[in-house]
Amino acid sequence: MLWNVDLTIDEPGLFGIIGPNGAGKSTLLKAALGLIPLTGGTITFFGRPFAEVRGRIGYVPQRETVDWDFPVSVSDVVLMGTYGRLGWFRRPGRRERDLAGESLARVGLADVAGRQIGKLSGGQQQRVFLARALAQQADVYVLDEPMAGVDARSQELIFGVLSELRDAGRLVVVVHHDLRTAAQWFDRVALIDMRLVAAGPTATVLTPENLERTYAGRLDLLDELGRAVEERGRTS
Amino acid sequence: MTAPIGIEPLLAISHNTLVVACGVAAVGFAAGVVGCFGVLRKRALVGDAAAHATLVGVALAFLATGRRDLPVLLVGGFISGLVALGVLVLLKRCSRTRDDAATAIVLSVSFGLGITLVSGITARGIPGGAGLEQFLLGHTAALTTADAMLLAAVSAAAVLLLVLSLKEATLVAFDSSFAAATGWPVVLIDYCLVMLVAVMVVAGLPAAGAVLVTALVVIPPVAARQWTDRVPTMLLLSGVFGVVSALCGVAVSAVVPRLATGPLVVLAAAFIFAVSFVVAPDRGWWARHRRER
Repeated sequence: MLWNVDLTIDEPGLFGIIGPNGAGKSTLLKAALGLIPLTGGTITFFGRPFAEVRGRIGYVPQRETVDWDFPVSVSDVVLMGTYGRLGWFRRPGRRERDLAGESLARVGLADVAGRQIGKLSGGQQQRVFLARALAQQADVYVLDEPMAGVDARSQELIFGVLSELRDAGRLVVVVHHDLRTAAQWFDRVALIDMRLVAAGPTATVLTPENLERTYAGRLDLLDELGRAVEERGRTS
Repeated sequence: MTAPIGIEPLLAISHNTLVVACGVAAVGFAAGVVGCFGVLRKRALVGDAAAHATLVGVALAFLATGRRDLPVLLVGGFISGLVALGVLVLLKRCSRTRDDAATAIVLSVSFGLGITLVSGITARGIPGGAGLEQFLLGHTAALTTADAMLLAAVSAAAVLLLVLSLKEATLVAFDSSFAAATGWPVVLIDYCLVMLVAVMVVAGLPAAGAVLVTALVVIPPVAARQWTDRVPTMLLLSGVFGVVSALCGVAVSAVVPRLATGPLVVLAAAFIFAVSFVVAPDRGWWARHRRER
């Protein structure tokens, strides 16, 4: 599915992994997190394999990967972010509950903490997942399509929280498919289409040539993006 | 001294019947609790495959020892249930057979083998072999006090294990990829959960039989889910529903001789489910119907 990706992300900031559907963006992420086996190559965090440092990495999976009819409340799900540190058989206590409460407040969901997760909108559900990752108190955050099927208000809220993390010196890696917003949001991006096309600062990577190599045959999208990049160039 | 009319049937209940009822109630409770995670993990049919396969082990254990000792037969049933689950995993992994098809194959083939063995034993008239058919549909009247205590102990252990690892089980059942990414051994936890279901399926054999014991680990959880949005409450309710179903089956089959327990247990559970389906607040049919109007 994905080959020849030689990518080093070594500074804090908002990092976008961009590419068309089926380009292998999520595959790259899942491989990095050890969720699917690698047929070759290595992936390291802080120079070490993921298994040794997973406590420092927060993960936001795609929303569709779980059953939202599951009988848990919003705060139950956020508490799950603290389980990794708790370890076997230890129950979450006061400290964990406080942390979950703070995380929920940061994504603007404190008032629905007791609600069953299926009763939330798509955007709210995505924010629950983000709050769970915040409760992991990680150094690196990895998000898989956090903006897919999410309303504008939630997008803004999520982007706001991610920016806060960046400002606090964290690295935030986001798999993203929407080119228009990519140009505005990310400090650096990697363009992927079954291979690494280009990586680096957003302005130097999102060039028409690189985009054509990534999105061959999807030119109407390119026109839109070209305008977005130009606008960004003018404003900055 | 003559007992007043109406008390007499109560006095007719022997000590053994009471102990058996308690043992079966414990099995019903534990099966309901443990079954919740089978249902939540969307593996309701896996327990059924194991259940149908237990008959092979029960028959082989009888042939090996020549006696109808419940603990020995159940250990045999447990082993063959696990073998069936192992075959199921291999089938899915090696032959790319889809989940449902693989389950159907393992279930029917192992059941066919079990029935062949049991009817072979019966046909040859091996002493003591006639009672093996009771494992097909359940027959609690034959249980001894010791058997019932054993079943109660196994049930208590299963509930205890599940309650201890409730946090881990809920995490894996809800979001296995997040659990894996945060370092939990998802496969191991999954196997333990399946194992617990298999244990309760085997413990439920005397009460419900190989054909119907799945009802004890599937129907109470589904009924309980109707009433609550929280896992702990669901476990408790499911356990209670399991107790009521199991006791109803035992009571009726004690009053009407020669009636197998299993079908009665299933009917009682189905009644609880039907009521839950209709009248449960919020998720029930009636509540949804009223909301839509």
